[in-house]
Amino acid sequence: MANNTQSEQLDKVVSALLGPPNAPVSRAAAARPFDMSFAPVIEVIRDLKDLPRPDFKARLKADLQRRAKMATAAAKPVPETRTSAIPYLAVRNAAAAIDFYKRAFGATEVMRLVQPDGRVGHAEIEIGGAKIYLADEFPEIDFRSPESLGGSPVRIHLNVPDVDESAGRALAAGAAVVRPVADQFYGDRSGQFRDPFGYIWVLSTHKEDMSPEEMQRRAAQESAASSAVSFIREGFHTVTPYLIIPHAAEWIDFVKQAFGAEEHFRAKRPGAEDIIMHAEVKIGDSMIELADANPQFPATPCTLLLRVGDPDAAYARAVGAGATVFDPVTDHDYGSRGGTVVDASGNRWHIFSPTPGNQIFGAFGTITPHLYARQPVDLIHFLEAAFGGEEVYRAEMPGGGIPHAQVRIGDSLVALAGGRGPYTPMPSTLHLYVRDTDALYERALAAGATSIQPPADQPYGDRSAGVTDPFGNRWFIATHVKDVAF
Amino acid sequence: MPPKDAHDERLLIAAAQKDPARFAELYEEHFERVYAFVARRLRHRDDAEDVTSQVFRDALANIGKFEWRGAPFASWLYRIASNAIADRWQHAAKEQGAALADDPPDDSAHANPEEIERRASLFRLVATLPGDQRRVIEMRFAEGKSINEIARELGRTDGAVKQLQFRAIQNLRASIEKKPRERKSEKPVSKNG
Repeated sequence: MANNTQSEQLDKVVSALLGPPNAPVSRAAAARPFDMSFAPVIEVIRDLKDLPRPDFKARLKADLQRRAKMATAAAKPVPETRTSAIPYLAVRNAAAAIDFYKRAFGATEVMRLVQPDGRVGHAEIEIGGAKIYLADEFPEIDFRSPESLGGSPVRIHLNVPDVDESAGRALAAGAAVVRPVADQFYGDRSGQFRDPFGYIWVLSTHKEDMSPEEMQRRAAQESAASSAVSFIREGFHTVTPYLIIPHAAEWIDFVKQAFGAEEHFRAKRPGAEDIIMHAEVKIGDSMIELADANPQFPATPCTLLLRVGDPDAAYARAVGAGATVFDPVTDHDYGSRGGTVVDASGNRWHIFSPTPGNQIFGAFGTITPHLYARQPVDLIHFLEAAFGGEEVYRAEMPGGGIPHAQVRIGDSLVALAGGRGPYTPMPSTLHLYVRDTDALYERALAAGATSIQPPADQPYGDRSAGVTDPFGNRWFIATHVKDVAF
Repeated sequence: MPPKDAHDERLLIAAAQKDPARFAELYEEHFERVYAFVARRLRHRDDAEDVTSQVFRDALANIGKFEWRGAPFASWLYRIASNAIADRWQHAAKEQGAALADDPPDDSAHANPEEIERRASLFRLVATLPGDQRRVIEMRFAEGKSINEIARELGRTDGAVKQLQFRAIQNLRASIEKKPRERKSEKPVSKNG
């Protein structure tokens, strides 16, 4: 039995060592009130400070056992769902949509009712056992399609056994990538795709079961990891056409009216309200930047490929909004239906929809810039050498001409062709977001570009530089460094 | 629990790779070690629990990828723990700015494997103490309670609690001291300090 003095003395040591962590407790000071035979005990007390809480080991064990059990019952790629809710889609051209959903998602048609005027009044399809209703739009009863409304706020989540395979099929059928397929923190692998009728589909394969708490934890982890600012500005892609054009303000009105563009930003010249120094508009998933031409930066309009669900309707709206007819809408044997107009500021728009099943244009976003060069192969080589571009497609004529080629730069495609006939080369300006502006600027100069401006930090949060390529196109190379409120 | 020899450990790992439910045995074997390793590097008990949980969850999720190359299983767990702690410091530094970044854990001072083993043994020994002594040690050290709080909770006098604390610590010290010589035969500590 320990005597009271000893246990009192020992508790003084314990209290001292348990005290504030920064209070220095030297061995000598702690040992002062009693004899040195306590000294070895101090180590035990210090070690006990980190003793785990009594229930922690058992709690964690229970958690691990639950996880082990879930791991044994492997995650089902298509979780069973039981639901009586059925989405009812309004589309322009329901017959074409049914055909598309068959090819893109393996839908089967269950039934279809056709009105005397030819419109589909009601149709039912099934995808992977799930029912979906759809019909042509009926504006008279306010049943309107995403194309009329400018998009749909509802996304359709489709569980599939193999999302990568399904995504490939959807793309081949003519869907556009909204978000590429990737593993998600909540245990699914999924991607988002826009169909030609304006609906966005989330294709998803379930990979891992986890509790909502675990999802929350991983979400926090992911957001911490991505809190560093991306080098591409929010909402932008690697390549953005930068239109330096006359009548910029009128042009914005035109794209709003013709293509449903959204204006995101507009800076006017102080003291000259009608001159736009910089503006940003978005059409579909793509941003376009623009500014009024001035003596320092003379006009460089661009040729833009505009992917739409219904090229005839979009073409008609563009002409109605003031564009000039350049090439009427026709079926092109290279795999699309489209036509070309020129807007009042001199930009050329090829408005098209990929032919169902076409793989050449399947990966295009809403807007793809199109460059022309007398020697297109040289331009391809320049994009590879200067910007790390990768040639993904090239069509060659028997005589060696190149009517169409595609180069991927970062997450973007740039289309190009040999300039001939009415399609004379048209030097354009493009904005390129890269990880390292300084390095790419040097690389572009080494590949034959000439400098417009060396890299410099900009007040709007980018570090940017400018070069002119050997074909007369201007490239603004930028790295987004920080977000700045405008 | 004495450290298993390499052969036993290998069998345990193979079993857990085949059947995740068997991971529980590896957990029992290594819990105190990992906790001691982590707690030495993180100031707050909540953080130590978070990271220890994460280490075992990651280990369970990746046990299939573990390849036996002769190094003890514990060193694999320590590596997972080191990475988790480094991540935590990076995030903390990012979120809270320089204040925390000034004060990174001093890894070199804590990387002593013998110390980790000693502490892990001590934590296990606490579980073998007689009931009252064990409760006093847990409440005083793991739950941070004062002698008076413990006395009220256990319905004892302050003096009696101090006596229990004294005997518990003497018992633990005595067991720790003979531990290195008697690794194989682990006996509960005697009831009479």
